[in-house]
Amino acid sequence: MQEKAQGQSILSMNSIEVLYDNVMLAIKGVSVQVPKGGMVALLGSNGAGKSTTLKAISGLLKAERGHISRGEIKFDGTDITEMLAQKRVEMGICHVIEGRRVFEHLTPDENLTAAAPMGMSRSELSVQKDKIYDYFPRLAERRNSQAGYLSGGEQQMLAIGRALVTQPSLLMLDEPSLGLAPFLVAEIFGILQKINREEGLSVLLVEQNALAALEIVSEGYLIENGRVVMHGTAEALKSNSDIQEFYLGGGEGTNFHNVKHYSRRKRWLS
Amino acid sequence: MDWVFLSELAINGALTGLLYSLFAIGLVLVYKASSVPNLAQGGLTMVGAYVVLALARDLGMPLWLAIPLAAVVMFGLGFGIERVALRRLAGRPVVMILMLTLGLDIFLRGTTLAISGGTSRSMELGVSYEPLLLGDIFISRIHLVGAGVALALFVAFIVFFRTRTGIKLRAIADDYMASWSVGISVERGVGLSWALASVVAVAAGVIWGEIQGVDQALSLLLLKGLTVAVLGGLDSILGAIVAGIILGVIENVGAEFLDPLVGGGSRELIVAAVLILTVMIRPHGLFGRHDIERV
Repeated sequence: MQEKAQGQSILSMNSIEVLYDNVMLAIKGVSVQVPKGGMVALLGSNGAGKSTTLKAISGLLKAERGHISRGEIKFDGTDITEMLAQKRVEMGICHVIEGRRVFEHLTPDENLTAAAPMGMSRSELSVQKDKIYDYFPRLAERRNSQAGYLSGGEQQMLAIGRALVTQPSLLMLDEPSLGLAPFLVAEIFGILQKINREEGLSVLLVEQNALAALEIVSEGYLIENGRVVMHGTAEALKSNSDIQEFYLGGGEGTNFHNVKHYSRRKRWLS
Repeated sequence: MDWVFLSELAINGALTGLLYSLFAIGLVLVYKASSVPNLAQGGLTMVGAYVVLALARDLGMPLWLAIPLAAVVMFGLGFGIERVALRRLAGRPVVMILMLTLGLDIFLRGTTLAISGGTSRSMELGVSYEPLLLGDIFISRIHLVGAGVALALFVAFIVFFRTRTGIKLRAIADDYMASWSVGISVERGVGLSWALASVVAVAAGVIWGEIQGVDQALSLLLLKGLTVAVLGGLDSILGAIVAGIILGVIENVGAEFLDPLVGGGSRELIVAAVLILTVMIRPHGLFGRHDIERV
């Protein structure tokens, strides 16, 4: 079954270990597969290693003095473990980093221009921009205002739009729902799903908001303490009692069973 | 105080100020693309002048060839500085990079001293020293030429920062990490900004070398250039031009009134006061971007 999964994977990450500053082991042998055209979520609590996993894939570890000490990452069959971040973007991996991080002093339109590959023609760029403004009409309205003054939701849309200009085949998003109102999360996730359907864009989503994430992805990985502790389809994960309790906020009725749940631990740790 | 004299002071002050702007544009270029004040700009300006002299005097090239060729050499040097020294520091605290540029400035000064010695050499651009007479006002021709060069560079860079490459440089200044994440080569962008600043340094080096001679003192222009850049807002080319004119006028007119009172030397005081007051009252200068805080 493993082999079959790899055959159709756009991304296959095998037993990756990441060291920060040569001492701190941030992830300890994480393996993740993203099927072509699929949507996959990495779930887990704060500091579990989700963001580090994404940075290992996008090559942004270097900027934080981290490096991959073991394992390999294949993208579309090519080994990218040692590749420069810039080269990976050219190959089609784009990482929407945590905290939106739009270019605040540029306008949304300039944000999109900044991300355009040097080789993209002017007319192609305007086609791409129009497409992005179609997905995110709110951005079109404010295309010439300063990006730093957009609302949180608009900035997240801009961050996603900016990534789309690079024409990725794998889009990775780190906590896109952070600090956003639920209706905005639903709007943004809906658009992601639409892009995934219409363009076959593969998506790897890191989320603490497991409830929202499991609504749009087809499978998920649960990461804790730098390891994958659970992997399954979104359905399976949603119905798993541990996931329900620790990541979906429980809340399934108030029957007496829940009381003893307080003493339950994350047994898969330790 | 008669008006002709006052306007002569103001006009010549403004022209001198534009020469400060010429220098300050180099500072702004680096800041705009990497958010680092480049304390080596003085050293680069001095080296730019020395390279022109080396090509023109030592190799016997005509100036019209030596100056563009020096610009090419300095363009390469700018890229080289990024490759050798700055790349390792990308993403590190700004203070470390700041110290590096200071060290670079000292290194460049020492290098020219070792190679060419400390005696002042003349640029001999061939611009007449005969002042231009505008009504009753005397204007220095070389200052006029320099001001023209500053304005031309101003226009060129305003246009440049609207191109795709220019926008990418501004993006880098905003956020290194986000730039990397969308495939912008931060290293090459910073290198390009240093290369362009080095070309501006050639222009400033030639004009200022003509005015005060080519020696290590050229690197001391940094103080006035930095004042202009800070007053203008560090990342604004327009700011550098406007602030240059303001500082030039204040300095020239102010010194005329203050010098008799304090017995000379008030120019430096005025410049220092402007720098200190700007930082205290308006840290982001006249046109500088400020950090955005949404509520």
